[in-house]
Amino acid sequence: MSNFDDKLAQHVSELPKEKQPERDLWRGIELGIASAQDNPANDGASSPTVTSKHWIAIAASVCLVTVLWFAAPFAFKADESRSDGYALIDAMSMQQQQQVNSLLASYESTTALTEDWQEQLKELDDAADVIKAALKDDPDNSALIKMLHHVYQQQIALIERVHAPKWQQI
Amino acid sequence: MEHTQQRVVHANVVFGNKSENALISKAKSGDKQAFRTLYDEHVGRVYALCYRLTGEKGMAEDASQEVFIQLWKKLGNFDGQSQFSTWLHSVTANITISYMRKQKGWMQRMFNLENSGINEMPAEGNSTDVDLEALIIRLPERARMVFVLHALEGYRHEDIANMLNMAVGSSKAQFFRAKQLLKDFMGVDDE
Repeated sequence: MSNFDDKLAQHVSELPKEKQPERDLWRGIELGIASAQDNPANDGASSPTVTSKHWIAIAASVCLVTVLWFAAPFAFKADESRSDGYALIDAMSMQQQQQVNSLLASYESTTALTEDWQEQLKELDDAADVIKAALKDDPDNSALIKMLHHVYQQQIALIERVHAPKWQQI
Repeated sequence: MEHTQQRVVHANVVFGNKSENALISKAKSGDKQAFRTLYDEHVGRVYALCYRLTGEKGMAEDASQEVFIQLWKKLGNFDGQSQFSTWLHSVTANITISYMRKQKGWMQRMFNLENSGINEMPAEGNSTDVDLEALIIRLPERARMVFVLHALEGYRHEDIANMLNMAVGSSKAQFFRAKQLLKDFMGVDDE
């Protein structure tokens, strides 16, 4: 064993065995347990807790409301300059909706390969809504526009993938 | 004197095990208060393992919650053949790994991200005061997971290969990589 291995083993043995989480986890666990008791058939699935993803969504909503609250007095002026920028986002969203609708209509008679695809589609929809909310405040932010475009592409890819004929699946 | 102290420690361990077994039995029969006490006793160790495996606080908190919810459902599987803490550690490792897989899928679907990079931070230099935990968190994901499971939790490479869906050789290679990186981070020269 080398000197470094000895040193590393020493550091490993000195690592604290415990570490306390910063937020209270028990409330989420209690919710998860209650939900498990209500739906005992759902044993294998991951449990519905208030996760970081939810906290991010909640925080994003709170931020949005706060921003809108403070920005309201200036809204009329801002609207004039921003209307053009956000019109592009509106057009993008409308076009996406049309594309999704026509794809869904064309696959109406095809059985989907997975059962939870609509849930995944909804997740992507929620993500798009959060990005659009941020874009309302900053319609020229190219990173956000790219992100929205990417989420829309993922939606199309998801619909196509779950409805692809079996011979295309390897 | 020393002999008396040893007997006191032994008595505490036996008494501790008995009271923990009683708590487990109560929790198995649906006693939430008993389960809460088990949670209070073990959350520190569960969270520490989740944090070292995921390398991220938010994910570690979510994974810890998932561990305790699954624990509530699967407590009936604990047969008392091994120490409860040993069994809980193996449950924690497995649930955290599967949780990370699901999360990674979500993140990749959203932003097409790959978490394989090394976090940028200056090397610690030849200091004796090394914060190993911070250095472990800087390791790339696979190297970090293998290092934590092997060096900290004592799993064999064969078991790690099974848990992480990789070849035994890959587990060994990732462990070697982790050690090399830690060596670099600590500013230790090759011998």
